[in-house]
Amino acid sequence: MEANETSVPMKIVVAVLFLFLLAPVILVVPISFSGEQILSFPPESWSLRWYAALADNPKMISAFWTSLMLGAIVTLISLAVAIPAAYVIVRMRTMGSTFLYNLFTAPLLLPTIVLGLAILIVFASIGFLGTFTGLVIGHLVITLPYALRVLATTLGNLNLSCEEAASTLGGRPLTVFRRVTLPMMAPGIVAATALCFLVSFDEVVITLFLTGPRLTTLPVELFHHVESRADPLVASVSVLLILLTLAVVMIVDRTVGLSKTFVK
Amino acid sequence: MMHQTIRSGSPTLSDDRDAHLRLDGLTKRYGDSVAVAALDLAVPKGELVALLGPSGCGKTTTLRMVAGLIKPTDGRIVVASQDITQVPTYRRDMGLVFQSYALFPHMTVAKNVAFGLEMRSLPKPEIERRVKEALAMVRLEALAERKPRELSGGQQQRVALARALVIRPSILLLDEPLSNLDAKLRDEMRNEIRDIQQSLGITAVFVTHDQVEALSMCDKVVVMRGGKLEQMGTPVEVYEHPATPFVASFVGRTNRLEGIAQGDGRVAIGSMAVQVPGRPGGKVEIMIRPHRMKLVDVGSGEDAASEGVNRLAGSLTRVTFVGDLLQYHVDVDGTEIVVEAASDHGRGFRKVGAPVAVLWRVEDTMVFGRGA
Repeated sequence: MEANETSVPMKIVVAVLFLFLLAPVILVVPISFSGEQILSFPPESWSLRWYAALADNPKMISAFWTSLMLGAIVTLISLAVAIPAAYVIVRMRTMGSTFLYNLFTAPLLLPTIVLGLAILIVFASIGFLGTFTGLVIGHLVITLPYALRVLATTLGNLNLSCEEAASTLGGRPLTVFRRVTLPMMAPGIVAATALCFLVSFDEVVITLFLTGPRLTTLPVELFHHVESRADPLVASVSVLLILLTLAVVMIVDRTVGLSKTFVK
Repeated sequence: MMHQTIRSGSPTLSDDRDAHLRLDGLTKRYGDSVAVAALDLAVPKGELVALLGPSGCGKTTTLRMVAGLIKPTDGRIVVASQDITQVPTYRRDMGLVFQSYALFPHMTVAKNVAFGLEMRSLPKPEIERRVKEALAMVRLEALAERKPRELSGGQQQRVALARALVIRPSILLLDEPLSNLDAKLRDEMRNEIRDIQQSLGITAVFVTHDQVEALSMCDKVVVMRGGKLEQMGTPVEVYEHPATPFVASFVGRTNRLEGIAQGDGRVAIGSMAVQVPGRPGGKVEIMIRPHRMKLVDVGSGEDAASEGVNRLAGSLTRVTFVGDLLQYHVDVDGTEIVVEAASDHGRGFRKVGAPVAVLWRVEDTMVFGRGA
């Protein structure tokens, strides 16, 4: 890192790329402070009216809480399932390990719309549509593969001899897992947590099939809002979401380091 | 070159009665391939035994079976007259030092060392006292609160040693503990491990592929090859009286010549003949250590055939200076012979291509049959 200086043309290329990637994010901030009735850029007048409108929109606020709760519960369940699953698949290496791993991560390969349709058909027959339980199960289908993949990679990269050393020192298998394996997996666990939460919080396609008039998540509510109206309310919601995402990313960065978590 | 500690007492194999660790027909098969084949071994209490061999000879597999990290296919492991073959690792009470040290990265040095004591649910004050003792033994008291990644390789190695010894294991197992260290540190650690092992009087098994480590540190050397025991003996026995050509060439450097023994103590090598100890017959290979041979100029005063001395004539093809040694490569009738001599202030260089003779004593000749 310390040796090679980045050349000037390279810096320009990187700057342009960043601008391209971040343009929508940058654009949305001024629009959220618009005084207009309709989405436009640049806005002709400025105000906080769309933040005020957001505070007065109970549907948006309840959708936000639903999304937050959903994200938290889905993340917790994902970790609770994926940590033991990763351990069994990577460490115990039974005959079906590879098969299990592929089965668990298969949803990543399917188009989400296909998953959504399939879940819709199954849930319609057992009455899970429009329920919170239905949403949790639907999101788990998406988040579990991510969690398992991240955790299995983390575990696979751990030095097995640390666990062996712990067992020669008298640690029983469960104690070794708790005192040595789990702490050494910490970066992977933080990464999986952030990933699961963001994926669930952001999920639209499957959720569209599962939400009903009484229960909806924030991305779906935004989607419906834009369908019927074109006011800058969505921009102010977007700004708040960007801030939330930034907060999550910064927590990860401060606790275990961003590059250590996501870059291998 | 080898500083050898020869223990007084029984120089040969001890019988089973005072064996602290005993392996009975220990076998490990992976499918069709055999990693360890019916290994029998007895390690007396308080001795340091080296398992020496090239990679893939089964030495590490053997060590891991003793630790309980690999399940044997067949055979028994007996420690202090108790069969522990089926005992799980965490109840075996063995201290294992890994090649990669395997320190817990999320714990401080003191916590690493305390781990085994905490597993034994000892009272806190005793844990603290023993951790302090163990760190003092490896001279690392000052670094107790550091994390492993803040330590050098040698320091990490010493933490690993303290962590393995603090539980007062019945056997100390060392898996190539020095191979990640640089040469100078390796020499230091070699002596340090040996001193600690002797002062504690602990029974230890040391896996290595480095013959210098095995010869200089250990009471007994077990040479392994292809999962089988090739020879077991004291370092002097293994070096001076190798049981097989493999041991002779793996432990120390050797020159190898093939010939036909005449049954009268003479071996014909092409058109030449040399004397060997004993009266072997048939196809043989003979081996001579390079430093037991002497290089002389043909026709010089030193080049005189005498009783009990072999002589082969050839021409000098290369001289290599390796600091403390000079290595002369001599072409003898198409076979390369290496002769080593102590380098004396860089003197002793000779002209390449000169006719030379190689002399050695008959008693320094090792003879092995070559089968049919």
